[in-house]
Amino acid sequence: MTGWNDMQTRSFYESNARERARYLLDAGSFRELAGPEAQLSSPHLPVLDEAISFDDGVVAGLGKINGRPVFILSQEGRFIGGSVGEVGGAKMVGVFELALKMHEKAQVKYPNDESRWPAIVISFETGGVRLHEANAGLLAHAEVMELIQACRGKIPVLSLVGSKLGCFGGMGFVSVATDLTIVSELGRIGLTGPEVIEEVLGKREFDSADRGLIYRTTGGKHRYLMGSAAYLVEDSIAAFRDKVAAVLAEPYAKIAAKRAIGTPTLVEEQLELTALAAQLKPKDAYDIWAHFGNEKIAKSIPDLSTKEFLQQVKIRKGGGVS
Amino acid sequence: MTQRPKTLVGKGREAMLNIIDADSFIDGKIGDATLDTNLGPGALIGTATMSGETVTVITNDAKARNPRFPVVYAGIIGLEEAYKMAQAVYLTMEADKNLPKKRPLVLVIDSPGNAPGKVEEFFGMNLATGSYQLALAEARTAGHPIIAMIVGRAISGAFLCHGLQADRILALPQTLGTMIHVMPLSSIARITKRDVELLETLSQTNPVFASGAGFFYKLGGLEEIIEDPADMPKAIVRHIQEIYKLKSEGKWNELGPCSRGTLGTARGGRVARKKVLDLMQTQYAKLEEAFLA
Repeated sequence: MTGWNDMQTRSFYESNARERARYLLDAGSFRELAGPEAQLSSPHLPVLDEAISFDDGVVAGLGKINGRPVFILSQEGRFIGGSVGEVGGAKMVGVFELALKMHEKAQVKYPNDESRWPAIVISFETGGVRLHEANAGLLAHAEVMELIQACRGKIPVLSLVGSKLGCFGGMGFVSVATDLTIVSELGRIGLTGPEVIEEVLGKREFDSADRGLIYRTTGGKHRYLMGSAAYLVEDSIAAFRDKVAAVLAEPYAKIAAKRAIGTPTLVEEQLELTALAAQLKPKDAYDIWAHFGNEKIAKSIPDLSTKEFLQQVKIRKGGGVS
Repeated sequence: MTQRPKTLVGKGREAMLNIIDADSFIDGKIGDATLDTNLGPGALIGTATMSGETVTVITNDAKARNPRFPVVYAGIIGLEEAYKMAQAVYLTMEADKNLPKKRPLVLVIDSPGNAPGKVEEFFGMNLATGSYQLALAEARTAGHPIIAMIVGRAISGAFLCHGLQADRILALPQTLGTMIHVMPLSSIARITKRDVELLETLSQTNPVFASGAGFFYKLGGLEEIIEDPADMPKAIVRHIQEIYKLKSEGKWNELGPCSRGTLGTARGGRVARKKVLDLMQTQYAKLEEAFLA
């Protein structure tokens, strides 16, 4: 069996949901909740002759990061595109409910020690609602949004996006509603998928087969440059884990100051950006990168290594960006 | 003889004006603040009264087009629309911040989706719709009753954005053209590679992917179906009163998105949800002490 240390250097992009959950956490600390042995699979897939999974594509659990209790959710893109159905959605809800419960007790027990209070980490890999059980999936999204708001002021909630399928559909806004997002350059975040945009605007305007265009539109570098992702890290489990650990060592107020959305001030700021969108009418993300002071390197940004990019790029100031 | 009610699909403005007290709508005004009414024309927002009480109304206007964002028409919620909606919610909270009684927000829903554009993705349509949802979730817990009234289309991301964060959700019946779903069955058939006939047969009995108010009711996705549009004002006012009462009694678990999860189990439409939550509680109970030690 591969050891915890060996798994740290592994590609986050290539790792499955359970590996991400297990190896983001301290060695040996992961305890799965409603795991595959409970066989809580989707009751809606068999009627459509669709294969089931005993974990319904979501790994939920609890462990520690540098000793701090951390609830984890990790989505599995290999199972029906990481889509959210009734069971997987309920696991997300369950984790938030339990974290809130633990928080109540922890703050009584350790009133002056935030490092003993729980946090929530979500590793996204999903296209959003599972169409086979679309209505239940949709309703679960709304519940998770309510619970993210309920955690504010109490529990740090961190989004990680760096897996093969990215984070799209309703989970695109769920991920950005948390306290902050950590991406790798391979992570993609958006609402509407490339195929739908092509369908609406036509292939000339948006070619969904153009991988470069897709990365420039929704990829980790773009999201970091625009400020909706707070941190950009290398593609390894260790890189994500180290950043999560560094963030969770900060006081809550400092973590929450990195929020991309969720305050009147941030709404005003996004409205200014929306005005810029109308004025700039960008044909490609290059135009936006250039506008924020990257004229000279815009065209080479996609080819820069993560390290080079972080050294050279000028990011949009404001919001969660410090 | 009374006239048969007509569909309100595509007529958000008309529906909203029928819901509020006659001639009470003030476009763009919330408390002392004024919204930029040129911004986000697809969202019609202002202050009105219902049975004499002040409310903020947020309505999709399917007749408006956004001149700056060409994919915003027919009630689609674009970047400007979603941020304007979020702004309106924060201004509503600001207007009542020193008052014990918080004014209601009435959301009139007729939207086919969030704007599916390239520019929208560059700048982040996910940020826009997320902003509005967080604002609503905050206003709800601050004590503002939030009612969503579905008069037309409540489709997928648009419904999540504008509606699903409400304390209570009401809908006109399917016979009046209301559409509540993620995707039409024909699209689900294409993507899941199943015959549309099979899906149609299954959807007769399985609310989980069927389209329509009745199925959402069974899943706990909405609290009440209002058969006659003429009854909307009094039904909304009744729900507002109930919400005030429940909030004053601290019965938060009977309101909002998670309460509809419980409702879905009670109505037999979402029974797996509770099994998962119960098991997680049981398993967690055995771990808690060690993690708090």
